[in-house]
Amino acid sequence: MSLTKEIGRNSTPAIRLAVVSMLLCGLLFPLAVTGFAQVLFPSQANGSIAHFTTSNSKAVGSYLIAQNFSDPLLFEPRNSSLSASGVDPDITLQDAIAQVPRISNLTGIPQGDINDIINQNVEGTFWIFGSPYVNVLRLNLALIHNFQTIYEQKDPGLFVL
Amino acid sequence: MIQPADFLTLVLILLSAIVAGRLLAPYIVKIFTHAPSRLDRFLDPVEKAIYRLLGVAPSHGMGWREYFLSALIVNIFQMILAFIIFVFQGGLPLNPQGFPGFSLDLAFMQVISFGTNTNLQHYNGEGVCNQLPNCYPLNNTPGLSYLSQMTAVQFLQFTSATTGICVAAAMIRGFVANSRDMGNFYTDFVRSLTRLFLPLCLIAALIFVGLGVPQTLNGYRIVSTLEGSTQTILVGPVASLVSIMQLGTNGGGYYGANSAYPFQNPNPASDIFQIFLMLLIPTALCFVYGQMLGKKKEARPILWGAYSLFAIDLLIAFIPNYTLSRGMEARFGGFFSTFWTVVTTAVTTGSVNSSLFGNHPLVILSAFMGMLIQSSPGGKGVGVMYMVMYVVITVFIVGLMSGRTPEYLGMKINARDVKLVMLTFLVHPVIILVPTVLAYATGAASAIGVSTGSTGFTQIFYEFTSAAANNGSDFLGATGNTPFFNISTALVMLSGRFIPIGLLLALAGSMMNRRRTSEIGLRTDSATFTIVLVGSILLLVVLTFFPFLALGPILEFFQKRVNGF
Repeated sequence: MSLTKEIGRNSTPAIRLAVVSMLLCGLLFPLAVTGFAQVLFPSQANGSIAHFTTSNSKAVGSYLIAQNFSDPLLFEPRNSSLSASGVDPDITLQDAIAQVPRISNLTGIPQGDINDIINQNVEGTFWIFGSPYVNVLRLNLALIHNFQTIYEQKDPGLFVL
Repeated sequence: MIQPADFLTLVLILLSAIVAGRLLAPYIVKIFTHAPSRLDRFLDPVEKAIYRLLGVAPSHGMGWREYFLSALIVNIFQMILAFIIFVFQGGLPLNPQGFPGFSLDLAFMQVISFGTNTNLQHYNGEGVCNQLPNCYPLNNTPGLSYLSQMTAVQFLQFTSATTGICVAAAMIRGFVANSRDMGNFYTDFVRSLTRLFLPLCLIAALIFVGLGVPQTLNGYRIVSTLEGSTQTILVGPVASLVSIMQLGTNGGGYYGANSAYPFQNPNPASDIFQIFLMLLIPTALCFVYGQMLGKKKEARPILWGAYSLFAIDLLIAFIPNYTLSRGMEARFGGFFSTFWTVVTTAVTTGSVNSSLFGNHPLVILSAFMGMLIQSSPGGKGVGVMYMVMYVVITVFIVGLMSGRTPEYLGMKINARDVKLVMLTFLVHPVIILVPTVLAYATGAASAIGVSTGSTGFTQIFYEFTSAAANNGSDFLGATGNTPFFNISTALVMLSGRFIPIGLLLALAGSMMNRRRTSEIGLRTDSATFTIVLVGSILLLVVLTFFPFLALGPILEFFQKRVNGF
């Protein structure tokens, strides 16, 4: 068969396949995933939004996205130019432990108590595998809730709803 | 050097990919041999309806030329549809951020990039954040609407991966004894979608959502942070894209930072799962090759050749000590960042979970090796095709050395076959080295502020290597959005994709119905042959590209050694 004849014969099915595959892969598939995701994992599907307390619905960011903490009473994230994403929400365990003396000095919370909070929030290890890290927003929310009276006194702005 | 626990992690991930690939292979074979399957009851009516809609006769067998042409024409139409979406997204629905359409040269480059399974990205999908980490306000620069992410990016990621696996199946059919034709592209395409990619991606996408990857059509969320400043949370239909971008070895991310962005890759579990997905189908196809041939042992040099080369890449990358450094994410640390860079180039996915700038020159050298070899185990479908090409070259070299007529699978390899495989091999150096030199000669490299010296040279050389290998990882990112780089990389990607596919299908076409002798000449399923194969590949690739590698990552390595890291 000649080349032009082969091209001509395949043009119509090719256009149709292009359209059908677009509808199937580009529209039907992501919409189906969205539907299932919203039913099965609504929190993750909408961006793992963090709330100030479990009882109050004020959103204070996403657990997965770093935010600025300029307050020296709280844990600081990595400088955004140091990570690949610019929004690295985590710091290494060593990095967290290094910040404990500063927070303890400024707030009067015993270092041991802060270390306990860090240890409760360590992620990234499994048996002998992985290297430990902690989520900065989780850490700070835990600090504020465990020592609410101290933070209410030192930084009342955090509690404005 | 690699830590023992990390080494064990690495081995376990690779083993699980090999085992899963072995288990998946018979299922893939059934898709292409039309063997009865339990899914027929549900899928046969759907597929028949699609064939009727297309107006194709599923029983029509194609020769290599018609198969290649129909694949090419379908791909062109798919790219045209995506092009329209990119350019006109500003006026189309599902654009909550109101992003304007792409410029023509950027849209041209991007559809070719996604359509050729490359996924170089000269834009940030989420838009450009003025201020990190809070990202508020968001600059109104070219980002992608949800519609574009779905009906342009994800769409082409599915179809290019599907095309890759189809042409590989067609090529294998040419090598199968007594096959009458190379199959029908339309039925191969539809069946790979309905039976392989769509169901696997649905499962994978939902696992990703469970691990923390967003999947919503609601617009970006603006929140007040703990300290009271304003922050934009960049959500969207991310998980559905991540599933196909990894499973289809596409690599184009939802976000500019790709899988370094926490929403695209939230934790080590999602990271390991993405690495597994990248390796799954390229590994499975090595087994598929042997099973479709009806000679399972012939999968050995393909699989073990690929994994030996992969092991060499890993050895190079893990020579330096790795640690969490600049340009890496805390949740991945040095190990997962380095491991990812090697995997993503070995299977030519091109997704990244760290900034390439943060990687040691030897890791970059290893990444180059993966992209220059293209079959360790290589991209979806084409990895196997390139490996068969290397096998034919090796058979020819061994034949010359031993003074016998080269034979593969009992078929005599003639002069035309050798010309075809050598042409295929030579496409790559031409389309990488010429544009790299042109980028310097025309001043296009300095125009975008690439530094002079080995670091800058590595970036430009990497850009075209990545384009030619249809990989897609890059240093340039959105800075590459200039007419020179958009058009030159587009042409390189097109040539790097369709010329080798066409030539290798031609080779397979001429193998069809060739007389086979039952006498065993050179055994190609032995360990000895695999060693010779790996040696020949290294020799060919290193000899071809050594001067450029020496000016880039190798020189950078020695400079950093002298000046300290």
